[in-house]
Amino acid sequence: MSDAAETVIASTAALTQRFGSTVALDAIDVQLRSGVTGLVGANGAGKTTLINALLGLRAPTSGLAKVLGLDPRSQGPALRARVGFAPERDVLPGEMRAVDFVRHLAQVRGLPRSEARTRASDSLWLVGLGEERTRTLGTMSTGQRQRVKLAQAIASDPQLVLLDEPTSGLDPTQRSEMLTLIGEISDEHSVNVVLSSHLLNEVESVCDHVVALDAGRLVASGPLSDLIGDDEGVTLELVDVAEPAGSVDAVERALRAAGIALERAGTTLRLGGLERDVLCDRARDAVADAGARIRRLEARRRSLTDLFETAA
Amino acid sequence: MNESAESNESPIAAADGAAQILDQRYRPYDGARHGLAGAMRAVIVSSTRFTLGLGRPARHKFLPWLAVVIALVPAIVFVGIATVLDIDLISENILPEYHEYYGYIQAALFFFCGIVVPEILVADRRNGMLPLYLSTPLRLWSYLASKAAAVTVTLAVITMGPLLFLLVAYTVEGSGPTGIGDWLTVLVRILGSGIAIAATMTAASLAISSLTDRRAFAVIGVILLLLGSSLVTSSLVETAELDSRLYAFNLFEIGAALKDRIYGIGPPLQFAGDDGAPGRRLSELATWFVLSANAAWVLAGGAVVWWRYRRIEATQ
Repeated sequence: MSDAAETVIASTAALTQRFGSTVALDAIDVQLRSGVTGLVGANGAGKTTLINALLGLRAPTSGLAKVLGLDPRSQGPALRARVGFAPERDVLPGEMRAVDFVRHLAQVRGLPRSEARTRASDSLWLVGLGEERTRTLGTMSTGQRQRVKLAQAIASDPQLVLLDEPTSGLDPTQRSEMLTLIGEISDEHSVNVVLSSHLLNEVESVCDHVVALDAGRLVASGPLSDLIGDDEGVTLELVDVAEPAGSVDAVERALRAAGIALERAGTTLRLGGLERDVLCDRARDAVADAGARIRRLEARRRSLTDLFETAA
Repeated sequence: MNESAESNESPIAAADGAAQILDQRYRPYDGARHGLAGAMRAVIVSSTRFTLGLGRPARHKFLPWLAVVIALVPAIVFVGIATVLDIDLISENILPEYHEYYGYIQAALFFFCGIVVPEILVADRRNGMLPLYLSTPLRLWSYLASKAAAVTVTLAVITMGPLLFLLVAYTVEGSGPTGIGDWLTVLVRILGSGIAIAATMTAASLAISSLTDRRAFAVIGVILLLLGSSLVTSSLVETAELDSRLYAFNLFEIGAALKDRIYGIGPPLQFAGDDGAPGRRLSELATWFVLSANAAWVLAGGAVVWWRYRRIEATQ
């Protein structure tokens, strides 16, 4: 989604949530923009607490929140009619048919009965459960139940969907499929999505924006492309060979002489300070001149993991 | 259900050549939304159907409908007798009057409140539906009010259904109230007493059900409350000859007393061996006391449920 088309769908100002002496959210100032936003952090970082605050399910200790232009506390019912939500907890009424479950919640979110019935079926088709829609929830796999939770969240055509750990309990293949599905829902149906996860690679794979939390503190927030990137230099790993002797040292000397910023750890050299292509060319030349052997030469990119490690 | 919703065809339909029409069905909705009222209506209808076992496997239908049958069978029998014997059976004191029928539905009420009602709250907590409901326009009070309304409506089927059947059948048979005024008076009394008893029983049943996530514990709790309150207060008043105001703690009898006041008559409860000593009859309780006692049950039950769910909400 282009920056120009992005709009702020939710924002908080000094949002603080305390439970006794525990600070679950510590003066969080953040803006969530349209598209898919990943709420990342370890268990206990405050992700679910922030989602509850955005839904207006819990009054913050202090601070403000605004979602879709509404105050979650004073305008909660009006807001929640426009928001879909899928909780993390994998417990659903086992004897209910999937289509009945989705239809009922669409009705509770305000849709007329006939419309809810149609959209329940359509939503289940969209998440890939069209053929399974009359099965009872108790007979479905964890992956199917996660899809049913997604279907009920989108059935009422919300402007914003909040998904709390939507890939919880899924195997890698199911996880990938679920993330692809979430991306498609956002891209093709213009539904804004906020998903929480403690798996950073998940967020990197599907999200446009990231809000990173750690122990209730805001670590970082913004477009994913701004927070991570592939312009972090190059890693060059050499093979420690006996002949010619000192080849690794020779490569290091040559690269330093060429004005390249360099950190060395054994036979691994982390190069930086210049464009990636230039670094690769210089590294190749230095290795060739020294008669060294390359084990690995790769562009180094900053990941969300680096973001958290830096913050820590 | 419309064709779009029911069709088993794939949403991806291939056209000729390389082109494809990708119809995912899911599309924007800009029609009416019913807000809080629609949300409450949906929960009431769903919960009522759930309580009666509608749309659920057969094993869930058995108990609620057994309770309805228990309540209705005596009325059907009485109407049959009235049809076969061509005399005014009520005025001849052969068949029970409307207010006396309550004795026949107590077993059904006990059965329904003890076995069926607990599931209506417990299931939502067990199934994880509560957080989902609270993420909709519903708030805690409107969710609980919807649940209470569903139970009250269902209980009213038992407390009013057989009596309305009797009223209509007696009227058709010629033993009903004389004149439209009397007829309407009986109707109002049936509706009023039915709702009053249903409300009191609903509050007590839901209060116990709110205290545990285990259906079995809730069932035991409700049965203990209904039986215990009846046995203990009856013993204290009749055997120990304590003050009859202790009947305020007897869920069945205080409800029956209110019903009798609504019918404008003294209660039929004359205990065996009662010598008429002061403080030993329900009929001696002031109407305001009976009314207050029933209101207290409703308020106390509501307060327990509210207190309990505020705690649950805080830990969701």
